Amino acid sequence: MSRPGRWAGGAAIAAVFIWSAVATEVSLGRMIEGLPFMWDFLRRMVPPDPSVLGNALHGAIQTIQIAVVGTTVAAVLALPAGFAAARNAAPPWLFYTSRLLLNAFRAIDTLVYALFFVAAVGLGPFPGVLAVVVYTATVLAKLYSEAIEAIEPGPVEAVRATGATSLQVLRWGVLPQLAPQFLSFTLYRFETNIRAAAILGFVGAGGIGFYVQTYLRLLNYPAAASVLLVLVVLVMVVDFASSRLRARLV
Amino acid sequence: MIRVRGLRKEYPGGSRALDGIDLHIRRGEFVALIGPSGAGKSTLLRCLNGLATPTAGHIEVDGVEVTGATPETLRRIRSGIGFVFQQFNLLRRLTVLENTVLGRLPHATRWRSLAGWFDPADLARARATLARVGLDGLDTRRIDTLSGGQQQRVAIARALVQAPAVILADEPMASLDPSLAHTIMELLRRINHEDGITVVTSLHVLELAQAYGQRIIGLHRGRVVHDGPPDSLDGAATARIFGPGLAGGAA
Repeated sequence: MSRPGRWAGGAAIAAVFIWSAVATEVSLGRMIEGLPFMWDFLRRMVPPDPSVLGNALHGAIQTIQIAVVGTTVAAVLALPAGFAAARNAAPPWLFYTSRLLLNAFRAIDTLVYALFFVAAVGLGPFPGVLAVVVYTATVLAKLYSEAIEAIEPGPVEAVRATGATSLQVLRWGVLPQLAPQFLSFTLYRFETNIRAAAILGFVGAGGIGFYVQTYLRLLNYPAAASVLLVLVVLVMVVDFASSRLRARLV
Repeated sequence: MIRVRGLRKEYPGGSRALDGIDLHIRRGEFVALIGPSGAGKSTLLRCLNGLATPTAGHIEVDGVEVTGATPETLRRIRSGIGFVFQQFNLLRRLTVLENTVLGRLPHATRWRSLAGWFDPADLARARATLARVGLDGLDTRRIDTLSGGQQQRVAIARALVQAPAVILADEPMASLDPSLAHTIMELLRRINHEDGITVVTSLHVLELAQAYGQRIIGLHRGRVVHDGPPDSLDGAATARIFGPGLAGGAA
């Protein structure tokens, strides 16, 4: 890029930043004024209230369950969708339709789907599961389709050349190339779904988020602190276990 | 064994890979297919087992018409033809034994092979074949831990375990260290001698073709321009195949 071009680009970015900062009322002064309140908030959380650990664990387990069921169902749905959205596996009309639909569904986040499903099927973990399914299925389908497009054609052709049937070619020429990646993507989404499911409770869709929101609203900070601690441990344990597993898959 | 009549292959866009090939390869022959790159060697080999569909002409392997065969007939034809690829085309995450036993897929019990199991007889056969190509003890190794030469031997074992009447090899040495060329060629020759399997291999190194081929077929721009025993490959023949500038060299 030319020197004046770089200048103009830099100026444009600076202008957008300042415009946005003013519009969002960014103010260092207000943040400094707020510091004592932040400190007060944290101070009231100590010591955490151990008597609500039972509730926190119940919420944590439900969060895991939402993520497990949601991710599993999503992975099953994403399998055919992934092939439909792969350039080398689907006819052009199917490929373009699938890509368009997947991109449209993926533009909306899990939490928004949760609002929709809470309105549709009522409160509780079930709308949470549905929200996780819809968002995760579209994300996984996209990831699967990219893996399918990157498949090596040579080994597939070699299996076909032995006289194998189409299903056998799929099982032995295609699947071994895809399975480790598919599993790895699915585990990764499971990790992120734990975090997504943790805030589903804010809109009434089950899980540990329900307790975080309830205790904060009741101004019961020690109880909220216990729940948050459980949440932190939960996320860390799942992240650790899942990334260990994924490392072994490659 | 293999009869080719009037074979033509044009790719979309009009480029002509094969321009009227007539051939008769007899059972038990060891044929070296030579020619500059783009002469149509790969296309010819791929047409023989139906991996490529010719534009016109007829191919018969072991008395069965390949051109226009139904999918089921084509599978039966392929099960009798082993194919060895330049890039080995193995499943890199699977083991040596798994890759080899894939050659038995057409004979495997359908649902068992889809579930991921193979018949003990087929596994035993795959192990025996691996020992034959000099890979005993490596059954459980993953392909991506092997050297290139070992990988090509797995690919040959996969073709051999099919108990084929023909083995087609498309530049089996081109991805390997030159020092390994003789080991692989020696292996193909042994298979040809001991099992009576017809071998047709394309080669880009003239010396290898002359050293191992009992019959040398030269292609140039999709046509057969030479066909005869190794000693018939004189300067004039090489010039016809590779062009006057490249006579005696490799392409």
